[in-house]
Amino acid sequence: MSDPVSRLVATAQGDAVDNPFRVTGVMMQYYYVCERELWFESRNIEIDRENASVARGTRVDESSYGERSQENLRLGMIALDLLEDGRVVEVKPSSTLTEPARMQLSYYLWYFDRVLGVEREGVLAHPTERRREDVSLDDDRCDKVESAIRGIHAIVTADSPPEATEKPYCESCAYHDFCWV
Amino acid sequence: MDKNYHIFSDGRIERSEDTVRLETDDGEKKHIPVEHAEAIYLHGQIDYNTRLMSFLNDHGVAVHVFGWNDRYAGSLMPERGQTSGRTVVEQVRAYDDPEQRQSLAASFVRGSIHNMRTNVTYYNSREYELGGVIEELDNATARIDDASDISELMGVEATARRAYYQTFEAVLPDSFAFDGREYNPPPNPVNALISFGNSMVYANCVSAIRATALDPTISYLHEPGERRYSLSLDIADLFKPVLTDRLLFRLVNRKQISRDDFRDEVGSCLLNEEGRTTFLKEFEETLERTVEHPTLNRKVSYQYLLRLEVYKLKKHLLTGESYDSFKRWW
Ligand code: SF4
Repeated sequence: MSDPVSRLVATAQGDAVDNPFRVTGVMMQYYYVCERELWFESRNIEIDRENASVARGTRVDESSYGERSQENLRLGMIALDLLEDGRVVEVKPSSTLTEPARMQLSYYLWYFDRVLGVEREGVLAHPTERRREDVSLDDDRCDKVESAIRGIHAIVTADSPPEATEKPYCESCAYHDFCWV
Repeated sequence: MDKNYHIFSDGRIERSEDTVRLETDDGEKKHIPVEHAEAIYLHGQIDYNTRLMSFLNDHGVAVHVFGWNDRYAGSLMPERGQTSGRTVVEQVRAYDDPEQRQSLAASFVRGSIHNMRTNVTYYNSREYELGGVIEELDNATARIDDASDISELMGVEATARRAYYQTFEAVLPDSFAFDGREYNPPPNPVNALISFGNSMVYANCVSAIRATALDPTISYLHEPGERRYSLSLDIADLFKPVLTDRLLFRLVNRKQISRDDFRDEVGSCLLNEEGRTTFLKEFEETLERTVEHPTLNRKVSYQYLLRLEVYKLKKHLLTGESYDSFKRWW
């Protein structure tokens, strides 16, 4: 069983897998934010950037969990912000980086479907902007999630990280100096 | 970047509420604010206890201890960020792979010679005739790629350094004769200044290395175990011309340091307390100087350049991306 997608499902369902493979919601988000950062994170490469003005370091974690991190619903590999009337709600403080958040939510819906065997609808909520966006798992989205899982697998198992390419959020990234020096 | 604090007097330091208190044997009391401390340098006889150590550990503050003759005696390093098994494994792998070790060592030598050369060029363009030294340094650089092992590289570096020291003879006044580099103990003022300055560069490199989870004992140009923290020797060589030598020339030529700032003993010469204070004040100011970084697109302090150098090495070890040593660009 070498396909990362089936390995992930088997791992999540608790089957005995030779080579277990896990993808968290945060990993899915990193995949869309910066593949290089995903590689660094997957290896726990810690860089303590001391420049106080940009000591963000946790851009993704903060935006995905906010202050309610204790209330997360843990379901195996994923941790939901909240379930509301049976719908999976992902809360984003701002609408920057919307696509990564949308894919993270899509991954949760996919996980419900493929791993837990239940269909769910999703909502991407931006409380500060009073905006909500419905997300559901159609075939397109499903393909996108699965190819992302394969993409994540390829990155985290590679010997070296993808090359650095300049992005608007490099400026506030914990790895900034590490990448660009 | 945070500050270094130097303590010359004898006495004791202890935790006092949320700060560190120094009480000297003369009854003087002082506070050292830990939030802004990178490291505390102990030059005198100082007592401390474990309560202080864990307090400094919590705040990520290192302590560097200097003993008799200003010699570096050791460091008490904060634990934070210093454990990364993978990093150490990769560090050892690179050491064990002759090709990779050679290329890292070569890069250190190339950078050191480049930075010596920058100093020589600076004085050559002024009133001194140093064309011969520049030529010798260029010849040494040309031999780096042909060196077949580490000891040959060491030889290239030593030749370059010997040539470089002619600059000291030329630039410094006659009252500060140099007569070649001698170490323990330094026989004259210039050697005393070099030794003192270089041990400060070395200790600052120890701090920078420990902040990045690299193991300071695994090195490439110097043989591991040559000194306790041999990786610090590799990194420090790159920065000595920038941090120690230029400062030394300036202090002596502007007469901020004079013959009176030294105490002579049989066969040795050391900075006295006043001399050390003057030197360190200027040294710390140099560390705080900033320069526009060509790829980070912001100003960084000289002290942060040390940290960046270790980042570069760590990046090379963990990602396989090439390492290019620090070469003064301004
Ligand atoms: S600095 Fe830019 S390229 Fe590097 S990890 Fe961060 S976001 Fe990615």
